Formats: sequence, structure tokens, C-alpha cells
Amino acid sequence: MTACDRFEREAILRLEQGRALDEHFATCPDCRQAADAYQRLQAGLASTGAAYQPRPDWQARTWAAIARRRKRRRWLRTLVPAAVGACVVALVLIPQLPRTPQEPGIEVKVLPAGSAWRGAEAGLGDRLLLRAQTGGARHAELRVYLNDSELVLHCCCKPPCIRDHETLRAALDLSSRGTYQSLLLVSDDPLPTPVAGLDGDAGQALAAGARVEFGETVRVR
Amino acid sequence: MNMPPGESEAAERQALLALDRGDRKAALTLLMESYGAALYRYCRQLTADDDLAQDVHQLTFVKAYEDLNRFARRSSLRTWLYGIARHRCLDALKQKRRRERRFELVEEPPEQCDATADAEAQLTARDLSRVLDKCLERLAPQIRAAVLLRYREGFSYPDMARICRERSATLQMRVRRALPLLRRCLEEHGVSP
Repeated sequence: MTACDRFEREAILRLEQGRALDEHFATCPDCRQAADAYQRLQAGLASTGAAYQPRPDWQARTWAAIARRRKRRRWLRTLVPAAVGACVVALVLIPQLPRTPQEPGIEVKVLPAGSAWRGAEAGLGDRLLLRAQTGGARHAELRVYLNDSELVLHCCCKPPCIRDHETLRAALDLSSRGTYQSLLLVSDDPLPTPVAGLDGDAGQALAAGARVEFGETVRVR
Repeated sequence: MNMPPGESEAAERQALLALDRGDRKAALTLLMESYGAALYRYCRQLTADDDLAQDVHQLTFVKAYEDLNRFARRSSLRTWLYGIARHRCLDALKQKRRRERRFELVEEPPEQCDATADAEAQLTARDLSRVLDKCLERLAPQIRAAVLLRYREGFSYPDMARICRERSATLQMRVRRALPLLRRCLEEHGVSP
């Protein structure tokens, strides 16, 4: 015969909920036995863990931990505003810090007198805009040769050139038909004076240790 | 042993008066003296680990000190402290399990009583309290916490609900599920409650 398990199934929860038990539990021998067993179990639970005691110095250790945390928080209260301040200063200063020089190079654009862009093709009256990076070289020049022979622009640091740190800019009105070849020459030594047309001058500069960068050729028809 | 109710109430009153004076240190000292030992036992039984229990016990009082000024008096200080301790214990257990899983040191403890009684438990089968401690360790932490709060610490279900931030009915179901498991665990260890 199977023992009655209603005590486990019903009575435990009813008792935990503070509800009364019905007549069955007072008369059923299995349930009464289970009730006694659970009472002893609950009494046993009330005395478990008696051997577990904190360390004798636990209060002192806790106060020390509290002091350490307060100290750390004081530091944090100081450090956080300082870190925020440092970030702000860095944000302001970083754009002003000297930057690694860019490689020398030259960029050529044609600004048309009319409204239409024509790429490397240009017309009379258009403007040639030159923008070069000097790469941190001590000496830099912009030159423009017409038909590889006539030097129509030659400047370094005075108008028509404008030098802004490592950028060299210049503009030239395209008043003649032909081929305009722009050059950037950079060197840490003084650059040779131009005398012999594009090929001769470039060769002379290269021989003197200068770096010569060629811009895009622009034809004026 | 838990503090007798009269002494516990007196300690609560004094701690609250200390808080009214703005004396957090005095309030915490009173709480340490009144509930420190019982709270340690609770942490130890819940974590089943001496080192973890010491850390969590200390952290409970550190957190209590930091939050005492914000104590809203919606429950007793004792209930509030057990709430902090329970939260920290379960958190520490989660971290411990994560570490163990990572290093594959031990398997996750089973939620129910293990059917195979170990030799040590067999030897102490007549010692109901010791065997019960072993059986408690084999319950899932959430269930163990409910049983301990109810029968070891003597909290009412409404107080347990505040401590665990769960509904009384949920906690009653946990206890209802745990008691037969504990009974069977005891029987398997040769102890008849």
C-alpha cells in the first residue's frame, strides 16, 4: 500500500502560506508522521551553521576597508575633474601641435573664367591655381613654364606665392595659348636660379640635390 | 544564534537614533555588533565558501556604511542588511561559477540533493545539523537563500520579499520545493528527521 503524500503535496505550502489544514491531516497517520518529520527538519534548520563564525578581527578589517575605499573615492573625486580638464586642454592644443610634414607634392586646378569646368583643358582668361606641400623643406619654389621654355611664374615666399607653414600657393592668369607645366622644387639647400628652360632647370635642380615634383600639364587652346 | 527579538529591536532603535544624529560610524558599529555574526553565518551558508563568505560579509558592511545615509526606513535595518548580503552573495557565486567554468575546475553544483551520499556525510549521519549543512549546500543558491531566511534567520515572508525583491508567493513555493528535497537528502545520508 502506498503511503499518503498529501502532506508534502499540499500541507507544506498551506502552512507556509499561513493557512489552516483540513481534517485529513489530523487523522491520516502518514500525514501526521510527515508533519512531525518536517517539524524536526525545520527545528534542525534553525540550528545549522552554528560552527561558522567570522574572523575575530573582522570589524577592524571592515573599518580598514571602509577607510581604503574612502581614500580611493577622494582620489577619484580629484582625478576625474583633472582628467576631464586634461582632455579639454588636449582637444584645444592638439590642432596646434606641430604635425609630421606631408610628402612634397603639387596640386593643379583651373578656375574657368566662365562657369564651365573643363578639367585639364583651359581657355584664355582662366586661372591656374597651384597648391603645394613643401614637406618641411627649408627652400621651396613654384615654377610654371609655358611650352617648356618660358618661365611665366617663379616664386617662393613672396607674391604671387603665399606660404603658410608647409603649404605654398600661387595663382596665374592664363593669358597665352600653349602648354603650362607647373613644378615644385624643394631642398634644404638654396635652389639654383632658373636659366635654361624646363628641362635644363629641372636637371640643374636635381643635380644640386633638390626634389622636383611635376604638376598636371594644362593646355590652353 | 540569532539575537533575541527584544535585543534586536533595541539595537535597531539605537542605530536609527545614531543615524538621526548623523553618526554613521556609531550606527554601523551597532549593526556590526548586533548582526555581524549571524550575517556571516548566512553568507557562509549561502556561498558555501569561507573566503567568499568573508569577502561578501565585509563588503556588505562596507556598502551598508556607504548607503546608511540613504536608508529609507521602509524596512528594519536587519532586513535591509540581509538584502545587501543576499545580493552580494548571489553576485559572488555567479562570478565564482563563471571562473570555474572558464578554468573547468569543477562542475556546476546540482540543484537537487545528490543521490550518492559521500563517505564523510555517512560518518556524521547522526549529526542532523552537520548533514543538513551539507544538504543545504546542494540546493540552488536562490532556493537555499529562501530556506535560510525562513528557517535559520526567522524572517516573515513579507520581509523575505523585501530582502529578495521577489513576491512572497514565489518564495513560499521555493521553500515548499526545498523541504522535501532536504528531507530526502537527510534520509539518503541515513538521518531520519
